[in-house]
Amino acid sequence: MALNLLHRHVLEDHILGFHGGANPNHLSVVRRPVIFSVLAHAGREGQVREALAKAEDIAIRACGPSEWLAVSQTAGAEHVAAQLSAIPGVSLAEQSDGKVLMAIAGPSVRRILAKCVAVDLHPDVFAEGQSANMMCCHVVANLARTGADTFEIIVPRSFAGSVFEELTEMGREHALTASFLDA
Amino acid sequence: MTSYRLDAGGAINRAQALTFTFDGQSFKGLDGDTVASALLANDQMLMARSFKYHRPRGVVTAGSSEPNALLTIGSGLRAEPNARATVTELYDGLVTTSQNRWPSLKTDIGAVNGLLSPFLGAGFYYKTFMWPASFWEKLYEPLIRRAAGLGKLVLQPDPDRYEKCWAHCDLLVIGAGPAGLMAALVAGRSGARVILADESFTLGGSLLSENVAIGETPASEFAKRTIEELASLPNVTLMPRTTVFGWYDDMVFGAVERVQKHVASPSPDLPMERLWRIVAKRAILASGAEERPLVFGGNDKPGVMTAGAVRSYLNRYGVAVGSRLAIFTNGGSGYRTAADLTARGIKVTAIIDARQQAPDLGPDGVRVIRNGAVVATKGRHRLESLIAERAGFQEVIDCDALAMSGGWSPIVHLMCQRGAKPIWSEEKQAFMAPNVGGAFVAAGGAHGADTIYACLRDGAAKAAAMMGELGFSAYQATLPEVEGEYDPSFAPVWYVPGAKDKAFVDFQNDVHVGDLGIAQREGFRHIEHTKRYTTSGMATDQGKLGNVNTAGIVAGMRGVSPAEIGTTTFRPFYTPVSFGALAGAARGEHAAPVRTSPLHGWAKKNGATFVESGLWYRSAWFAKEGEKTWRDSVDREVLNVRANAGLCDVSTLGKIEIFGAGAAEFLNRVYCNGFLKLPVGKARYGLMLREDGIVFDDGTTSRLSEQHYVMTTTTAYAAEVMAHLEFCAQTFWPELDVRFVFVTDEWAQMSLAGPKARIILSRIVEDDISNVAFSFLAVRTVTLRGGLKARLFRISFSGELAYELAVPAGYGEAVADAIMEAGREEAICAYGVEALNVLRIEKGFVTHNELDGRTTADDVGLGKMMAMQKADFIGKRLSTRFGLTAADRLQLVGLKPVEADKEIKAGAHLLKENAKPSLANDQGFVSSACFSPTLGGFIALAMLKSGRERTGEHIVVWDALRGAEVPAEVCQPVFFDPDNTRLHL
Repeated sequence: MALNLLHRHVLEDHILGFHGGANPNHLSVVRRPVIFSVLAHAGREGQVREALAKAEDIAIRACGPSEWLAVSQTAGAEHVAAQLSAIPGVSLAEQSDGKVLMAIAGPSVRRILAKCVAVDLHPDVFAEGQSANMMCCHVVANLARTGADTFEIIVPRSFAGSVFEELTEMGREHALTASFLDA
Repeated sequence: MTSYRLDAGGAINRAQALTFTFDGQSFKGLDGDTVASALLANDQMLMARSFKYHRPRGVVTAGSSEPNALLTIGSGLRAEPNARATVTELYDGLVTTSQNRWPSLKTDIGAVNGLLSPFLGAGFYYKTFMWPASFWEKLYEPLIRRAAGLGKLVLQPDPDRYEKCWAHCDLLVIGAGPAGLMAALVAGRSGARVILADESFTLGGSLLSENVAIGETPASEFAKRTIEELASLPNVTLMPRTTVFGWYDDMVFGAVERVQKHVASPSPDLPMERLWRIVAKRAILASGAEERPLVFGGNDKPGVMTAGAVRSYLNRYGVAVGSRLAIFTNGGSGYRTAADLTARGIKVTAIIDARQQAPDLGPDGVRVIRNGAVVATKGRHRLESLIAERAGFQEVIDCDALAMSGGWSPIVHLMCQRGAKPIWSEEKQAFMAPNVGGAFVAAGGAHGADTIYACLRDGAAKAAAMMGELGFSAYQATLPEVEGEYDPSFAPVWYVPGAKDKAFVDFQNDVHVGDLGIAQREGFRHIEHTKRYTTSGMATDQGKLGNVNTAGIVAGMRGVSPAEIGTTTFRPFYTPVSFGALAGAARGEHAAPVRTSPLHGWAKKNGATFVESGLWYRSAWFAKEGEKTWRDSVDREVLNVRANAGLCDVSTLGKIEIFGAGAAEFLNRVYCNGFLKLPVGKARYGLMLREDGIVFDDGTTSRLSEQHYVMTTTTAYAAEVMAHLEFCAQTFWPELDVRFVFVTDEWAQMSLAGPKARIILSRIVEDDISNVAFSFLAVRTVTLRGGLKARLFRISFSGELAYELAVPAGYGEAVADAIMEAGREEAICAYGVEALNVLRIEKGFVTHNELDGRTTADDVGLGKMMAMQKADFIGKRLSTRFGLTAADRLQLVGLKPVEADKEIKAGAHLLKENAKPSLANDQGFVSSACFSPTLGGFIALAMLKSGRERTGEHIVVWDALRGAEVPAEVCQPVFFDPDNTRLHL
């Protein structure tokens, strides 16, 4: 018998309560992103960083010394893995199911995130294209600025429900809505 | 009518009347009022009863240092005790209630304490309520608490929301008076990111209360214009209603913003209060100065208040606090109050100046008594007259309010919260801000500036200097001229001797001069001891008004300078902060982040009861219909796993992927057993020691390819093991090429255990998983029917034929459902961590119950795992220490009760048979215990002194907590299938 296995997003039940259209301040959850942990081996950090910058359809997030997250919303996992594993001195671990990717955008986004992270998100300090690991809603997260008023947050799957609830709670005064990106 | 609202003037909106109640009586106030100003406008001078003697009290101040006028504001669940009427913003419909009185504020039975006061002085409680000791908690403390005290807390949950927030800036300006406004303006115009925070609901500080002209406009108008300009600058954030309460490491300031405290119907979308952590590159303390009360007999009578407070009520709120005021002063402030009052047509009956000579002149027609003093006050619920003394002659002065001024103290609290002490200045006769480095400086009144012009100048200069340091080109401010200033200099008068009535130093805690004298006589001479003995400075106002007078009076009693007495210790919080604000959103189930397994949904629909395990919610057991207790479910699950099969969620175990040419060598060094020769496609149980030879953690590590491993850790120690690995790789062996990444969340991992596990699994997995093709400890990436790739491990924590299947987390629920469906005929069941625990105790497997940070590998029977022939591994050297190899160490044994139905409880201690129950006779303890449905009785694992050589001995399990003694027999720790035949089926 062939199994018909249904993939289920961890935030499926949490998002149920949101209906209707997106408000100016909106949290969108990416249903099936491709995410890999990329590790550079000793002495290869510089080369790997350069090679990663050239990867196609893949956004690179800084996690720490010699460690990145490679994120794609367009390319498939095999395509991403093939590109990344061609880089010498790299080890890869897929995290597409282990991490949850959310984008939060809108005019009040910095005011909302100021309740969630301790890092200064002023554009002079945390510019577009920058990313870093930090605590977000008491959980280890990777935060990236992808636009003037857009940030992407990557959190461990097991904590995603908790982070989602706190983000939406903190966004309440700014009428933050939430949905899956494809909804 | 003696205190009343004037027809004109004040920064209040006369068009907007607000209705509120005090002790049930309805009053009218105005928009812009505090509760205190509104009560005064309604001739309600009596606002409170004092803490200990229940004396009638009114306001002393118009600000956050108020010691007397503490009220309960709000009602029902929102009632908040001990709010200071002087800073509580009035709103329509506000309900306020007085405290610490019975039956009413005017007739308070507790006032009898005043008559008993000769017996209630400082130290009375300590001396009187000492014997018998057992009476303290049951009798004395509850009695004292009922008699003396403040408002009552609401004990139901707070209905409001709270939140915490971070802010970042180049310059934080604390206080929006003249110095703060000017500092913010200079920094704002220089282009810096500025936060200007002020505790009041209207920014402007003393500019709202002082009758001067700045740049030819009234001070309040100047403040308004400056604030408008600041508001127009995008780089400036104005934070009214925000008290900066603490200064912490790395220039982080704590502040609380009262978002909706002043709102009649709070919005459910907004927090009631917001706690700010403000990270500032530079900060300026522009908190101003506090006017000191004078200490004389009866100085606590309602109607006696500071001269500055009288001006605040007059100029900011348009309220006359009396119709005939007397002034008692030692400096210019009293004269300014007299001038402001007479200018508004309010009678000043006399200015009593403590100084022999003074440059100040009273208003025309006002009598000035130089070298005079107030020695007594008359009146019950408010001042009716006072007795002044000059050169030994006493006279009665008619008045219904008294403005007193004892000089000024800079408000330096925040700068002294991290260890620095304020410094006494002989010149200023005040404790001044210490130098705490250039990043945080005091400006204006907080720095001792004593005119408004000096404040404006100091604020501008301090901000300009900081702008230069931060690399901004500092805006050059043109300072406006200030007209109508007065000379606020003063000559200190610490107290007026010879009073018959009490002369209060600390109003809120009812400490008077006599108490300070007792403390000195009894040897509590250090100011910190004086404070504890008398409680001076220990109330909710933390002695904001009284501490300086305490220091001055104690100095006088000892014949030294206040510099030698010093101050007590300043600590956060500057003013009280609610627990709600401190907790923020972290309450109830959100007190800590919740961590759920990918199989949480599967467990839920199978009837799981969850148990919190760290942050994780793990399925503990799966109750079926008809099962009455958790034991019913657990017994069934255990028996079913042994007889058929069961599926258990093990996703919470830590998983770490390890890569690199040096990975094998690395593992060989962090585990005490050998890992160099682990073949690809195999798993091995590994034991990690700490450097000191004690067991750290255990788990299996599998070799997926030549240079790629996946390690599992215990649920509890996942993060610690990851940190340990990184630490070892980075600091001990940087030459090894090895990298790690946490993948715990990527995989839904389930254990399928039981004699029928293979049959069930073969319906799911396409690969050959026969015992030959996939033997014990085999590991492989397999394909599930339908194409999904998964990792399969043949490992067991139950002693049964078992597999762990790992699939990408999003598929976990579907795969678990498929396995349950596939095993339906074999009567598969879901089992939880409780059954898992029983299964492992039956097999004598250890967990952190046994690996508790005190045990060695040998203690738990795993001594043979230590590969001492290896050149080195973590823990090798210190594991040979004498103490760790002693023969009388506690060793892992099994225990069975002699009578099978007797229960052994974990945590109970072990005694030799017939030994007297005592810790001296302690032989060890029970680490894990359960009912074994397989064996039909209670069993336990225990750590017993020299346990391995005591098999067969009868001992006593002594449970002192529950008062039970159970005879038990020592046995091998493996209760079931000691030869592991079932593992290899």
